[in-house]
Amino acid sequence: MNWKKSARVLTLAAAATATTGLNAQNVDSAMLKNPPRDSWLGYHGDYSGRRHSALTEINTRNVSGLSLGWAFQTQQNGVLKATPILADGILYFTLPDHVWAIDARSGHQLWHYAAPQTKAFHIGQRGVSILKDKLYYMTSDAHLQALDAKTGNVLWDVEVADSKKGQWATMSPLIVGNHVLVGASGDFDNLQGFLRAVDPDTGKTQWTFYSTPTVDTPRVAYSGNMWMTGTYDPDLNLIYFGTGNPSPVLNGKVRPGDNLYTCTILALDPETGKLVWHFQPSPHDTHDWDAVEIPVLADGVFEGKPRKMLMQASRNGYFFVIDRTNGKNLLTTTFGPVNWTKGVDKDGRPIPNPDKEPAPDGRLIAPDEGGMTNYRSPSFDPKTGLFIVSASPSYSLYFNKPADGAYGWAGADYGLWSKGVLDAIDYKTGKIRWSHELGQRAGSGVLTTEGGLTFTGDSTGNFLALDTATGKTLWHAGAGGQIASSPISYELDGHQYILTSGGNVMFAWRLPEAPAAPAAKRTPTAATTK
Amino acid sequence: MRLRSRNILLAAAVAAPVMLFTLSRMTAQAPQTPGQRPTPAQRPSWTVGSQGPLPEHAKFTPLQAENGGALFIQNCAFCHGKDAGGGETGPDLTRSKLVTGDKNGEAIGAVIRNGRLDKGMPRFSLSDTEILNLVAFIHTQQDASMSQSGNRRGVDESDLHTGNAEAGKKYFEGPGGCTQCHSATGDLAGIASKFSGLRLEMQMLYPRDAKTKATVKTKSGQTFAGTVEYEDEFTLGIRDSSGIYHSWPMTAITAKLDKPVEAHVTAMSKYTDDDIHNVLAYIQTLK
Repeated sequence: MNWKKSARVLTLAAAATATTGLNAQNVDSAMLKNPPRDSWLGYHGDYSGRRHSALTEINTRNVSGLSLGWAFQTQQNGVLKATPILADGILYFTLPDHVWAIDARSGHQLWHYAAPQTKAFHIGQRGVSILKDKLYYMTSDAHLQALDAKTGNVLWDVEVADSKKGQWATMSPLIVGNHVLVGASGDFDNLQGFLRAVDPDTGKTQWTFYSTPTVDTPRVAYSGNMWMTGTYDPDLNLIYFGTGNPSPVLNGKVRPGDNLYTCTILALDPETGKLVWHFQPSPHDTHDWDAVEIPVLADGVFEGKPRKMLMQASRNGYFFVIDRTNGKNLLTTTFGPVNWTKGVDKDGRPIPNPDKEPAPDGRLIAPDEGGMTNYRSPSFDPKTGLFIVSASPSYSLYFNKPADGAYGWAGADYGLWSKGVLDAIDYKTGKIRWSHELGQRAGSGVLTTEGGLTFTGDSTGNFLALDTATGKTLWHAGAGGQIASSPISYELDGHQYILTSGGNVMFAWRLPEAPAAPAAKRTPTAATTK
Repeated sequence: MRLRSRNILLAAAVAAPVMLFTLSRMTAQAPQTPGQRPTPAQRPSWTVGSQGPLPEHAKFTPLQAENGGALFIQNCAFCHGKDAGGGETGPDLTRSKLVTGDKNGEAIGAVIRNGRLDKGMPRFSLSDTEILNLVAFIHTQQDASMSQSGNRRGVDESDLHTGNAEAGKKYFEGPGGCTQCHSATGDLAGIASKFSGLRLEMQMLYPRDAKTKATVKTKSGQTFAGTVEYEDEFTLGIRDSSGIYHSWPMTAITAKLDKPVEAHVTAMSKYTDDDIHNVLAYIQTLK
């Protein structure tokens, strides 16, 4: 097999790096709670899901000079949707069936793991997670594999869901304490959504939380898959995960009621998987609007009181601010055209309009099935109090008739129109402070930095750096391909990097090295002296 | 550069299938009385092949279809459904006229290779053998779907006949404001012969292929006119009347864009579902 050969060669390269490595990072629980500047240790970088970097070397004054450090060609089919992680100067990222380890200073490949081909959906892979010397990788057919971070060798492999029944995986696991937290996707079939805690050393299941009753229970919803990486508050010791839409997806008649816990934000005890509170953004969803979008954690003043908040810009078009200690709603508002509700109830939940359930002759619905936003990360900028999200105002037609049945999709929907816009929402009021047009529906997530910058991408493949305060473009570069991941930032050898992907290529951006550097610059940089 | 050439390719790829679609649509559909929904008794009894004559295409082996099925699950099923009958975002391929018109992968293969970037479908780099296997699988699924007896899932033309044509005409000429741009005897004459069913409804709600017109003035004072082929924050690309593509950095020009199609987006925020069905019933009379 191909990968064996490359793995053997690259073990040497990995060993070589190890010998020149400076201070080896031991990625343990303490480090995951306080990630150093020269790291990006999980999908969100830290546990908060804010995707906000404290780095300031690249800022509003100098970003126009941003230039390419290196580009890494994966040379594979597919579009990168992964967030790379960085530990010990090594970046790890993925495409379905592929994991790479590359030198973060040069883009040089250390190893490449090609997983065996599977018959499962290959719609994306969002990245690996790290704890100590192991990487945790979800295969397309919903197995969890532990890889040796130094070599990419598979240490163990456990099945998380039976892909033959229809589930698949794209998720970057969330690691909390001694738990690797994983879920799967799969609303094309009537299956139980779940979140599972797995032992990082052995792969043994510690607990499983199911979103719905078992599939032999009549007249209830199934699915509620947890397919996105959650967030964690170490002080409250709660993990937060959004659950996916119910199935049958477009046929709500056979599953009356709210359909808990589908389309729900869950607060769980990471030690036991016990539910502590829940809030449901989409009661009785009939439009495929998962509520898995990142539950972003931030502390701030709300209506004059300091609050521990959880914020979600949900696929159904609503933006929520919730007290994350108890799940009580603080604010509910829309961030684009929404026509499927009869308003909001006393608990801050949208009230679905029965007339807007899919029907035999079609219903015009805003937003469309892809939603007002989707899995791409938003970002929260603490300084401005802005929650910045890539949004897609949109309209579509939804159909359901008896012949569509009560299994899996159970209907049809057709997008009519959509566009892309980056919205900066003031969390205190829910008002949009600025909007930046992105063309059609854009696929990039968002990163904000303490340097006052917002990084994202538009629908035609332009990387953008905007002034977070105003939304004005300060820098751009053509990617030559679809931007479908969320940017990250880190510092190496005293210099800040921004990582973005376009198509199947990873790009590292940094400020140019000035030949005659001003005195303020540190000397010499190690970027080329490895 | 890459983006520009991609758009040109795309325009070519999209134009051909639409032609195919229109032709076969006309021959395959029995005319319906507008505004009248067939009762179950009026419906033809669904028998094998009653979904329309089985399409003619090259013969494929079961192994080709099986291999194509595995590829389909990996690459296509999320959007088009595991059985090609529609999934998240992607259309039902068993009802696709492009598939019906395809003989041996010439049309389906082009879409796989080029994608339909304007509709969110990426291009796929697959080998000729892999593409032919996919083609075999898609044809097999369409054949099976068209051969089935009983009510078929998905959107049938008859499902859409719930509106009142007279009310639709009133809306069209009155509150809908449609006559500001359109005329039943002008640009829309015969529209229901060109499109039907769901395609007609989607075209009515948002004519995706409508072009934006641009007049561009460069800093040196030259003026260009044409249809917009590419537009982002930094670049504008237009095609002039002789078919030549021009593009400029936005900073180097002043451009006036005419986007009449935006009125359709505004309309979507006003329509009730009844308005839509009524206007559709009316449009269906414009044969």
